[in-house]
Amino acid sequence: MKILRNSALLLIVGFMAWMMIHLYGQYESRDALNPVAEYYAVNGPEETGAANLVTSIVVTYRGLDTLGEVTILFLTAAIIGLLLRTEKGSRKKSVRESSEFLSTASGILIPVITLIGIYIFMNGHLTPGGGFQGGAVLASSFILVLLAISNKRIGHRLLDYTEAISGISFILLGILGILLAGGFLDNRILPLGNFGTLFSAGAIPVIYSLIGLKVGAELSNVILELNQIQGEEEEL
Amino acid sequence: MKIFELENISMAAGFLLLMVGIWGIISQRNIIKMIISFSIVDTSIHLLLVSIGYIRNRTAPIIGEGVTKTDAATQITDPVPQALVLTAIVIGVGITALLLTYSLKLYRHNRSLEINHFNSLKW
Amino acid sequence: MVNPIYIIAVLLGTAFLLGLFRKKGFEFGMALGMLAIAFAAVISVHWFIHLYSGTEGGLNIYTAGSKPPFSINLFMGVEESFFMSAINILGLLGFIYLFRAFREQGLKSSVLFLVLIMGMNVLIMSRDIFNLFVFLEIVSIALAGLIYLKRGKESAAAGFKYLIAIGVISAMLLIGISFFYLFAGTLNIDDYLQSNTLPVKGISVAIFLMLIAILLELKPFPANGWALDVYEAAHPGISAMISSGTATASIFLLYKLLPLSSLDWLPYLTVIGAVTFVGSNLLGIVQKNSNRLLGYSSIGQIGLMIAIIGLAPRLGDHFNFIFVSIFISHFLAKAGLFWISGIIMRSNIREWSVLRRNRLSLFMFGLFILMLIGFPPFPSFYGKWQLVMDLAQHKSFVWIAVILAGSFIEGIYLFRWFGYAMKEQDDEEKKIIFQWEKLIPPIVFSVLALGASYYTNNLSLLGPTLNLIPIYFILALFVLDFLPAFVKNSLVIAGMIIYSVLLYPSIADDTLRLIFGGIFMVGGVLTLFAGYSEKGKREGFFPFAVMMYAGLIGLIQAENLFQFFFSWEIMTLGSYILIIRGKKSMKHALNYMLFSLGGAYLIFIGFALSHIGQVTFDLQTLSSTILPGWTYTLIAIGFLTKTAAIGLHIWLPGAHAEAESDVSPMVSGILLKAGVFGLVLLFLLMGAEQAEQKNLLYILGWLGAITALGGNLMAVFQEDAKRLLAYSSVGNLGYILFALAFVTHVGWMTALTYSVNHFLFKTLLFLAIGGVVMRVKTHNMYEMGGLIKQMPLSFIAVLIGIITLAGIPPLAGYGGKWLFYNAVLSKGWYFQGMFIFFAGTIAFLYCFKLIYSVFLGQPKDKFRQVKEAPVWYLIPQIILIIGIMVFSARPDLLLKPVGTMLSQSNYFPTDPLNWENVTASTDLGYWSGYKIMLVIGVMFIILLSWLLLMSRKAQKIKQFNIVYAGERPFKPETTHFSHNMFSHFYKALGFLSIPVVSAFWNGLNSVTHSMAENTRKIYSGNGQTYIVHIMLYIIIIYMLMF
Repeated sequence: MKILRNSALLLIVGFMAWMMIHLYGQYESRDALNPVAEYYAVNGPEETGAANLVTSIVVTYRGLDTLGEVTILFLTAAIIGLLLRTEKGSRKKSVRESSEFLSTASGILIPVITLIGIYIFMNGHLTPGGGFQGGAVLASSFILVLLAISNKRIGHRLLDYTEAISGISFILLGILGILLAGGFLDNRILPLGNFGTLFSAGAIPVIYSLIGLKVGAELSNVILELNQIQGEEEEL
Repeated sequence: MKIFELENISMAAGFLLLMVGIWGIISQRNIIKMIISFSIVDTSIHLLLVSIGYIRNRTAPIIGEGVTKTDAATQITDPVPQALVLTAIVIGVGITALLLTYSLKLYRHNRSLEINHFNSLKW
Repeated sequence: MVNPIYIIAVLLGTAFLLGLFRKKGFEFGMALGMLAIAFAAVISVHWFIHLYSGTEGGLNIYTAGSKPPFSINLFMGVEESFFMSAINILGLLGFIYLFRAFREQGLKSSVLFLVLIMGMNVLIMSRDIFNLFVFLEIVSIALAGLIYLKRGKESAAAGFKYLIAIGVISAMLLIGISFFYLFAGTLNIDDYLQSNTLPVKGISVAIFLMLIAILLELKPFPANGWALDVYEAAHPGISAMISSGTATASIFLLYKLLPLSSLDWLPYLTVIGAVTFVGSNLLGIVQKNSNRLLGYSSIGQIGLMIAIIGLAPRLGDHFNFIFVSIFISHFLAKAGLFWISGIIMRSNIREWSVLRRNRLSLFMFGLFILMLIGFPPFPSFYGKWQLVMDLAQHKSFVWIAVILAGSFIEGIYLFRWFGYAMKEQDDEEKKIIFQWEKLIPPIVFSVLALGASYYTNNLSLLGPTLNLIPIYFILALFVLDFLPAFVKNSLVIAGMIIYSVLLYPSIADDTLRLIFGGIFMVGGVLTLFAGYSEKGKREGFFPFAVMMYAGLIGLIQAENLFQFFFSWEIMTLGSYILIIRGKKSMKHALNYMLFSLGGAYLIFIGFALSHIGQVTFDLQTLSSTILPGWTYTLIAIGFLTKTAAIGLHIWLPGAHAEAESDVSPMVSGILLKAGVFGLVLLFLLMGAEQAEQKNLLYILGWLGAITALGGNLMAVFQEDAKRLLAYSSVGNLGYILFALAFVTHVGWMTALTYSVNHFLFKTLLFLAIGGVVMRVKTHNMYEMGGLIKQMPLSFIAVLIGIITLAGIPPLAGYGGKWLFYNAVLSKGWYFQGMFIFFAGTIAFLYCFKLIYSVFLGQPKDKFRQVKEAPVWYLIPQIILIIGIMVFSARPDLLLKPVGTMLSQSNYFPTDPLNWENVTASTDLGYWSGYKIMLVIGVMFIILLSWLLLMSRKAQKIKQFNIVYAGERPFKPETTHFSHNMFSHFYKALGFLSIPVVSAFWNGLNSVTHSMAENTRKIYSGNGQTYIVHIMLYIIIIYMLMF
């Protein structure tokens, strides 16, 4: 039995390697952009007004993908909530005081981290970074909140509101794109502004900020759900 | 030499990681190890994507210092795979979180993390 | 027209919004969700109507204000709008269905559902490959969450397996997409298709990875263990969404991405689909868990659809019709069945007998099952017809065989399941609540199923010529099922009489059709009379009785092969349900159905072969078939299944014997003639030369002879009166078959005379014995006896019946025999003739046993008080007796027109009977019905008087005078004179009645089952093994393709 299993393993890995070598053999180092990428490079700055071309693609050209991404995180948070929901409703919590060191440090770090997160997503159209990265940083500050202030009730509610409102606003902005500009999620519903400044690139910074908030809230929600099972009586 | 260039190395590394990940998924019985293997597969694909977008001697696709608006087409790497990889990472995070939650659930139900212990449904 | 992108916006916006709601706002939140899905449904249906009726090609929806390929675009065409409408309607109903589950699990779970629907909509519309990947992940993740809607260990395990399988599949997909981008430089489907760059090898690997990933999403056999576990463990409402919803989206995705590949995927898809269809159904036959069974069936049906996509080039213009009709049947039926499963909450298919507590859900269950198998009038029937016909045109016989084999195997377990629902013990202790909101979705889908059937009928190439009046009548009877039985019975009889009167002018010139039409209609009305003795409502009887007769009449009326086959299936279906109504007939009805289904498929293939190279389906195409041998053989075997030729007869005794008292005469005296009619039609249309050349007639003759002997022999050793009659029918049909095989004037005349005779006496006998059985409540002859005093009329009826049966002068049976031997002698088949002669002698034995052990001998104590059979049983018997008498005295009434017909048919112009007034003669002798009656009558009276005269002094013995008894009885029944009556014959001839045929079919059955049992062991339940399956599957397909 074991021999069978191992040979199957070997066969599979060997075959995959062979298939990948096929792919790899066809790969040649690129020396130019393909027409689609070239279009983005040439027309992207003009059309979207964003200095960061990746952002212009993520938020505008492939905005529907991004909407999907946000939805995936939203789904993940909802599913984790569904899965970890205890039937009894009340959750027992073992509360351990956080150390002096941790709570003091958190008091200083949390605002800083939050600010960095906000900076990252607000400047997504100019610098590397954006909503997802910023959101993740925001969520990391939320971890710190959880660790440091474990005896206080953390508002699920606030997170839910942030999530829902930013999500709905994202969609509404998308629809405005149909009504006011060229299509769903078109960023030109706001003036493109001066290239390379904070208030430029039309709706991109707004959308990216919403994404940042939403991602932050969603990731925080995931963390919160996972945190709440800590020390819980194990259901059997 | 083809194989010693950065893009070749990273792509080969991507494929190698992919093999490692697949090997892990089909050989490791412990579901946490399987989940780690999934993460390795994800990472390998991200690496592949980034390698695909890479063009030698070019810089990040952000207009600013070093990249001018007019000559961007000859100065930047392909921005599309970078956008795709961003999406792929987020999807990977979602799936990993779900896998972990499910493994937690499974552990609670079965007191076990061995994949072959969850076979009450079969045939 | 509303921009379809609003569907996405509204569904997603609502999903985000619902995240805010707490417990209090549950109802409001649900209402919002429902509105959102309803909005999506309305828009997509509106688009479908607009695009379907208009000439517009569709709408390209651009996002982000740029043109593709630079931005993602969606496309709304007629196909897209159709599949979206299906998914959104399904979603709306599924949402209602899951109301309670959502309330238990919180509103968040309904959010997952909304996102799932949204994701599927985008999957259908999007034209960007990476975007498709993202939304495929959304759909998968939403499902991964919804699987846990039914909490518990199993769901958790299934959810995990699902996630890892999907994880591997999507990794393949993403690698494929990445390299596709590298080589193609675009992610847009249309952009790639329009650019005429030569494909490099790398891109074909990339496209291979993408397509194989989509294919794996469609759960091909055997890399689908994960999906089966999900079907079994998930909430049935979710399984319905997976089976009907995501499968729809995925298969459309496959269809959409297929053009990307420069390799020819179609042959591979055909093989993959066919293997899945057959393999998955095969494993289904050993499955006991209903949801898992539905999973197997679902995977099988998807396999069929994949195969159809693969076969598309051979189907040409008909592809859309075929695909959609198969798709819609699967879509509606599978969701409906899963929903019903969730209502009754029984996982073992045997426990589905609870359905009988709710007639509506039983009706819907039956409807969905029949729709899946492809019975008329459901769309899948039309689809399969067209599919097989088109495949035959391209000589793809292997695929025809494979597809029909798969359908047959599916029929095995679905009908077994249906049998359990109809007949298995229902444990009344366990309570069940039929929740109204869960009943709505299957009701809506049933209505849609009927509507779809109507539209398919109109759209199909031949459909509108179908006579739908009987079908409306059947539907009306379903609705009127609450009326008392006698009202419905009168309605049905009136309907049949009116229909016969209307029908008469159209067949008046056609003696052949007139004879069989007469048997079907007159017989139908007569046997229905017996039904007046039933009290109560007799629910579910009349629609199916009418269905059977409608099918029979349809055979008479059929002008083309399609109508014939349609009627054939309708008839089979109706009779199956009539048979299964019997108390112990679950197993027998299944046997009947499977043999009928198999036979029907053979006829189907035969028709398809005859259609090769033809444009129309006219019945005349049979005469110009290019494969006469095959066509002839297949169709003949199909009809022989119905006439229960030996080897194919094992279904008959049980089915006929265990049916209700008034159903037995219907299925025996009348229904069997359908097969005879089919054979006659086949011979007439195809001509005898072809068959003669291939020795088919010779084989058929032997088959008839052996059947006659075997059937009669087995009848002799029966203890069960109805079984005896049933076996005797096998024998009688052997005679008919033998006579038909002569293909001479007299031979055919014999066959037709015999058909009428058999109708008269077998209906009479079954009615008479049925009446007796009703009174004495047993089938066993050794428990009866001496009933002549209590039931004199029944006695007379049986007496007349057996005299006719045995061919004793003066009744009609003798005339049949006279013709018969004439035919044998002129044909020269002496050896076979010996068989028949021998069989005729044996018939005397069982005839004697029947009348003697039931009516004569000592009466049983407990039956001293029994009454004569119900008057409603006697009336048809009297009419039949009159019929026999008339026909015996004046055989010319029937034979003359038959002779004229045969002479005119350019077929048997030679050697007719010579008629002088009412006396027929051949070279070998002459025969006059009423003279014989006269002679025999006189002889009878003389003998009777002689007997009475001589027996004046005979001593009457009291019943309990056991002075002659010498043995001590071990078992009470062994003392009865009729028990084991012919044991001495058994010693001599018993070896001939050893059930070798049953042993053969049983062996086949157990081989199939053990094969399925062993094969399904590959689904070990280990998620990792499933991954290994997936990877090996990829390897095998890759090896085959590159």
